[in-house]
Amino acid sequence: MSPTLTAGPAPATAVPGSGPSRRFLPRRSTVLIALVVLATVVLLAVSTRDATRTDPLDPDNPSPGGAQALARVLADEGVDVEVVRDADALEDTEVDGDTTVLVTAPYSLGGASTDRLVDHAADGQLVVAGSGLAQVGLLDDADEPVTVEVPDDLEADCEADAAGGVDGVDLSGLAIDVEVADAYPLDGCFTVDEGSLLVSPRPGLTVLGAADVLANDQVLRGDNAAVALRLLGARERLVWYVPDPADVPAGESTAPSALLPPWLVPVLWLLFATSLVGIWWRARRFGPLVTEPLPVSVKASETTRSRGRLYHRSRDRGHAAGALRHAARDRFAARLGIPATPPAPGAPAPVVLDVARRTARHPAEVAWLIDPTAPPPGTDTELVDLADALAELDREVRRT
Amino acid sequence: MAITGRVPLLLLLGVVPLVLRPTAGVGWGWVGLVLAVTVVDLLLAPSTTAVGLRREATGPVRTGEATSTTVVATNTGRRRLRGALRDAWQPTAGATGNRHRLRLGPGASARLTTPLTPVRRGDLRAVGVTVRSLGPLRLVARQRTLDVPGSVRSLPPFESRKHLPSRLARLRELDGRAAVRVRGQGTEFDSLREYVDGDDVRSIDWRASARNRTVVVRTWQPERDRRVVLVLDTSRVSAGRVDDVPRLDSAMDAALLLAALASRAGDRVDFVAGDRRVRSRVRSAGSRAIAGTLQDAMADLSPVLAEADWSALAAAVNAMGRRRCLVVLLTPLEPAAVEESLLPTLVTLVRHHRVVLASVRDPELERLAATRGTVAEAYGAAAAEQALGRRRRTADMLRTLGVDVVDADAESLPPALADHYLSLKARGLL
Repeated sequence: MSPTLTAGPAPATAVPGSGPSRRFLPRRSTVLIALVVLATVVLLAVSTRDATRTDPLDPDNPSPGGAQALARVLADEGVDVEVVRDADALEDTEVDGDTTVLVTAPYSLGGASTDRLVDHAADGQLVVAGSGLAQVGLLDDADEPVTVEVPDDLEADCEADAAGGVDGVDLSGLAIDVEVADAYPLDGCFTVDEGSLLVSPRPGLTVLGAADVLANDQVLRGDNAAVALRLLGARERLVWYVPDPADVPAGESTAPSALLPPWLVPVLWLLFATSLVGIWWRARRFGPLVTEPLPVSVKASETTRSRGRLYHRSRDRGHAAGALRHAARDRFAARLGIPATPPAPGAPAPVVLDVARRTARHPAEVAWLIDPTAPPPGTDTELVDLADALAELDREVRRT
Repeated sequence: MAITGRVPLLLLLGVVPLVLRPTAGVGWGWVGLVLAVTVVDLLLAPSTTAVGLRREATGPVRTGEATSTTVVATNTGRRRLRGALRDAWQPTAGATGNRHRLRLGPGASARLTTPLTPVRRGDLRAVGVTVRSLGPLRLVARQRTLDVPGSVRSLPPFESRKHLPSRLARLRELDGRAAVRVRGQGTEFDSLREYVDGDDVRSIDWRASARNRTVVVRTWQPERDRRVVLVLDTSRVSAGRVDDVPRLDSAMDAALLLAALASRAGDRVDFVAGDRRVRSRVRSAGSRAIAGTLQDAMADLSPVLAEADWSALAAAVNAMGRRRCLVVLLTPLEPAAVEESLLPTLVTLVRHHRVVLASVRDPELERLAATRGTVAEAYGAAAAEQALGRRRRTADMLRTLGVDVVDADAESLPPALADHYLSLKARGLL
């Protein structure tokens, strides 16, 4: 077996253990943090976009609970539908006698934004669909609705311009078909035992308790579509206002803090102080820290290891190969009981001839492996090959 | 000053008034109340200066074996003292459970015993005794640390003791061989006795037989009353760790076994340890308890990062007596250190004494030389082969000088050295 003398490229400088791994840690964590931030941003963007479309009775929500179908049909019928999503945008719109203002999420209104809405819509007709009106100040507390189950095909049973009816809207002969609705204890249309589902508490304001009439999945049942179109399409323009909860000034709406017991905050402060004192209690040392006078002790093989690294760094292949060959020669000579040095310069050493004879190899090959005058390996790979070949030769000599 | 767990508990009790009257005033008032009570308790706590502390001496112990230390605390004040006491030792002394409760009436004293389990050789020291004196409400304690010096001497473990019985049996064999009157090297004249069948006719003392009516033979016994000097190197080369045990500790183990064996064989054992200067010196008149004496002498030795001054150590050896003796050098076979500083001294030492060099071999070097898989390992193997070669040549050179070299792993060095001693004794080369 002869060692392969491939002139492969020198392996890349592998300086072992250059610097602690701590230096790499920030880099990896930076990438990780960046990825997390990116994922969060993407997730937030997606979720916020979805949120605007999944609100019930939203004009841009095509799901069963949305009201996109109605908005489209109204637009097709020639009504100028304008969707606004916050109070400032609402105030930018022009509201006159030919305008209907529809509010589909009144629970998102606050006291101030309700006032702004009522002021702005004073000239037009304000239609509010949904519940929670009393809480935001659109209705008196006495007119709080109750949720009722609606019988099938409930007739409107009211006349246009009749008392309790709806301004300028003729609903006679129409019947709605919804499952549940809010019934207001006022006179109006679609009357059930508990009250009416469509009322006009004061001129210019219409409250639709059966808000589901506008929903995508219910608008085709009964005369729902007709009711919705007559209610909202009676005028040329429709301003569809979806209130933004962010418009409610802080403190306007019911603050969570008002619901908490008054002693909570002081008690929390007291707990904080207690934990500080507790830390002091546990952290106070019982006497000073004790140190151990440690003796010096180094790994005995450390110098040899570092000398090996030194050879590696300086690529001293000649020296390394010489050391390996010398050691092998000494070992063979000791094992075979012959002098390791050649008797005369130029002649092959007796150890070479003896090893060649015992291992049935060619003397030149053995001489290439262990002779002091053999050429040093040209590359690091060749050095490894030489080291392996010497180890193999050692095993063979030991077997004989 | 230190507070107890009662202070946070008392503070926590403030939740009750706060729930009843949730105002900032109540909160601050409660905190102020707790603070005031704490300060009053601190002022009322007995002073820690009223505690007198004294430590009882602790005898030496073998490393890894349990012992204990006792502090006597006395209340010298006129008030009753309650609190706690901590007896701090350096970590390797293994002082677990070193916190004690103090309940001392006026003039009373208490013995507080802390168990110790030393895990390191040497003199392990107490660092300080901390006393806490609680106030009457036990909210707060005065704390003070006093220096109450104390130390426990942790002796070398002498793990090679297990090899002693087998070597003593060998020693008795040597004696026994002398009893069958094989005359030769390593024996000296013992006595005359009557000839019985089977005795070697060559051992008949004709002159004595002529004076007697019977035939008289001489009997022989192994050499006795030789001197063995153990020289322990504590220089930088002894700091090397071989398989996680410092070379110095392995050398101590070997020295202890040899000393125990030699003292049983009737030889005198002397001991010198040092590096730049002599650190420890023991002269024994052949006493049996030499191992204990040596353990005590070795206990506080630790490697020094300096080159050994072999001429000073050789002078210490010669100062112990002019008689020829067996000098055992317990030093690693480090080619550089041996060639530069030991060799010149060795030449003169060999002229007067029989010298043995006992060295702890590092099996890591052979492992390093045998691993050759990668480029870095190949270079490492070359370095290891070179180191091994130099070691071999240094050992050869020492042998040609007439020095016996015992080079073995940490584990097998003590028995190897003992065997070498026995073989020297059998051959009468002491």
